[in-house]
Amino acid sequence: MTARTRIGVVGAVIKPCIAEDGTLSLEERLHQAMHETLVDARMTTADLEGIVVAANDQYDGRAISIMMASAPLGGVDRDILSTPSAGEHAFVLGALRIASGQFRTQLVAAWSPTEASSIPEAQRLAADPYFHRRLPLDELSAAALQANALEHAAPGAGDLAATLLATNRANGARAFPSLVSADIEPGRLTRWPLREGTVPAPVTGLVVMMLASEDFVTERGLGPVAWISGMGWATEPAFLGDRELASAPALQAAAKQAYGEAGVTDPAASFDIAEVTDVTPYQQLLALEGLGLAARGEWQAKLAEFGPKGRLPVNLSGGVGSLNPVYCTGLIRIAEVANQLRGRVGAHQKQGVRRGLAHAASGPAMQYQTVVVLESAKGSAAA
Amino acid sequence: MSARVGIIGIGQSNFQARRDDASYPDLVREAVVLAMKDANLGFDDIEAVVYSLSPDAMVGIGNAERLGVDAVGARNKRFLRINTGGATGISSVATAWTHVAAGACDVVLTAGADKVGECGDSQTVLNKIWDPIYERSLPLGTINMLAMSAVRYMHKYGMTEDDMARVVVKNRRHAAKNPHAHLRKETTIEEVMASRMISWPVKLFDCCPQSSGGAAMILASERYIKERGLDAVWITGLAHSSESYYLGDRMGRHVTADHADAHALAASFRKSYAMAGIKDPARQVHAAELYAPFSNTEFHSIEAAGLAGLGQSPAMLREGAFALGTNAGPVVNASGGVLCTNAIAVTAMSRIAEAALQVWGRAGERQVKGARIGIASGNGGDHQFFGTMVVEA
Repeated sequence: MTARTRIGVVGAVIKPCIAEDGTLSLEERLHQAMHETLVDARMTTADLEGIVVAANDQYDGRAISIMMASAPLGGVDRDILSTPSAGEHAFVLGALRIASGQFRTQLVAAWSPTEASSIPEAQRLAADPYFHRRLPLDELSAAALQANALEHAAPGAGDLAATLLATNRANGARAFPSLVSADIEPGRLTRWPLREGTVPAPVTGLVVMMLASEDFVTERGLGPVAWISGMGWATEPAFLGDRELASAPALQAAAKQAYGEAGVTDPAASFDIAEVTDVTPYQQLLALEGLGLAARGEWQAKLAEFGPKGRLPVNLSGGVGSLNPVYCTGLIRIAEVANQLRGRVGAHQKQGVRRGLAHAASGPAMQYQTVVVLESAKGSAAA
Repeated sequence: MSARVGIIGIGQSNFQARRDDASYPDLVREAVVLAMKDANLGFDDIEAVVYSLSPDAMVGIGNAERLGVDAVGARNKRFLRINTGGATGISSVATAWTHVAAGACDVVLTAGADKVGECGDSQTVLNKIWDPIYERSLPLGTINMLAMSAVRYMHKYGMTEDDMARVVVKNRRHAAKNPHAHLRKETTIEEVMASRMISWPVKLFDCCPQSSGGAAMILASERYIKERGLDAVWITGLAHSSESYYLGDRMGRHVTADHADAHALAASFRKSYAMAGIKDPARQVHAAELYAPFSNTEFHSIEAAGLAGLGQSPAMLREGAFALGTNAGPVVNASGGVLCTNAIAVTAMSRIAEAALQVWGRAGERQVKGARIGIASGNGGDHQFFGTMVVEA
């Protein structure tokens, strides 16, 4: 994006695990989160020029889930679109809409309820109806096939994955002590080689972000701001048989776009923090490679660098491996990095963060890949 | 505002009730190949794809855009899907415009397809767009929803069932000249009036068909178009606006928007016109492709587009306005419109494609003579999301 205007994240509210206690409807929760985001951004509803939302009709039990969300998010009499392909695609489109010069502000939201009687069954509806639906193939099965492929291509990946999971769960327990335990009980095999206790159970969650153009930020004196300095997104095909699951070419393409825009030439030395999508820790290994943070042969040697005290802490929030609001995990990764840069994450805040990297992946075995580079001060020198 | 964005390629299926010869991805591919040929481009030229797909349930596959990735040649490229219900097609073109206007890409493909004719019963699917607790069980469908709009419009402005039939007759006459249209057989007021009652006052012939087929468009930056000396028409105005979700908010004494009219569509058109510098649409617009899936809704769409005053369009149609061959004023739905073809995921994209073909002078037998400014609209959800666009030669 040869941005005609710099775009910043001026507000972000993350609800990574909402108790299904029946006290509030999803509409009420979205409305509440929108207001919290406006307060965080020091803006009012009148400042809202456009909205992009993302949700999954099958999880929501509605044929067009955007319809319900329009009013709670301020959509009446406004320009609201939806990107049901992925939660993080709402961020991409929100940023593009400001970059186009048509808007100065965009509210971006994604949510993921757990009211569906079976999320795996809802996911199986996405398989080709003639050849693959009967397998049956849900997203955890796809992640397990990917884990197998990686173990085959990089023997020992399973041991590294176990170490990463322990680190992530410990991070999660520090960030959200009432929600995440550092103790891991592997339990029985659910989809080989994944064990029940090592994969995160789906929880209800939502995330709302406010984006604004540089001139709007300046005019209103808004801050703190996390500036978008690079953004990339790409896809692989859905059919697993057409893919090499032990690699992530779409992630490499997305990273190339984002790094090109941000002027990042040495990603391993360019960021203070990173949040990557890790439905399984095997995916985290693929992300580290695809993002250029650690080549396959360097995983073992570099693992300590990515710990909470390391040079580049990865998933200080605990990542998806700790809390898994399925559909909005990708957008949450971006919001986490933005709030780290804004000094707003709470217990797991790292001090002095100036540049962060967010990676979002969605769909079966990381089909959709998105990479966002965020910086705390505009015009930060590229590495 | 940014540099201009042009349309350089268009592909549309010849829409039919069923396409047993083609799978869902095959239909997408069919439209993409037509658009590529039209623009004389190859897949390597495409930098990003915006996938146009409304409710998943219509094709019976969750997140069916994932299966379309290869059909649109998006492997390892920028790709995302848009869904605003019936407005999805225009929202997808708007999103493709956004990619180019933002400077992210020079060439963007937007494409999709639908198999509404093969979904079993679209109204059963569309009932699921409503809130499961309050309005779904009434049971609401898009037909009875807009039949209530017709009743309200009749009450406010005196529209008759004959007036509604007159819209059908005009659009079928237009569709007979359009090889892409699904219903191409001309009809009469008498035939429309004698057709089966569906939801009073909407009769079978007042309703759109359930169509199968695909559509695709290629947009490019002005720099790319000029550097390569390409032929193009230009998107000069675009906007969206929304109404409330609950139909109850459009009825009673404390309405936020009267269900007779198209309040948010009018707001969207005002924004599009302001961007395009159009001050008097009734005089300046030559060809209008307005999303009207039921005959009565063409009237409030014409009025929301500023082509007639509120409640005045039925009388103007009686006097011969809005039809091909008319000597004055804009022609509305020269393609036959949604009333003759409705493959929901791409119906609103076809509105822009048809408006573009008109100002390009490539609309064949349905050409509006001398058309230079075209407009298009798309409606989605429960008459909730509205997108509008201005296209100029």
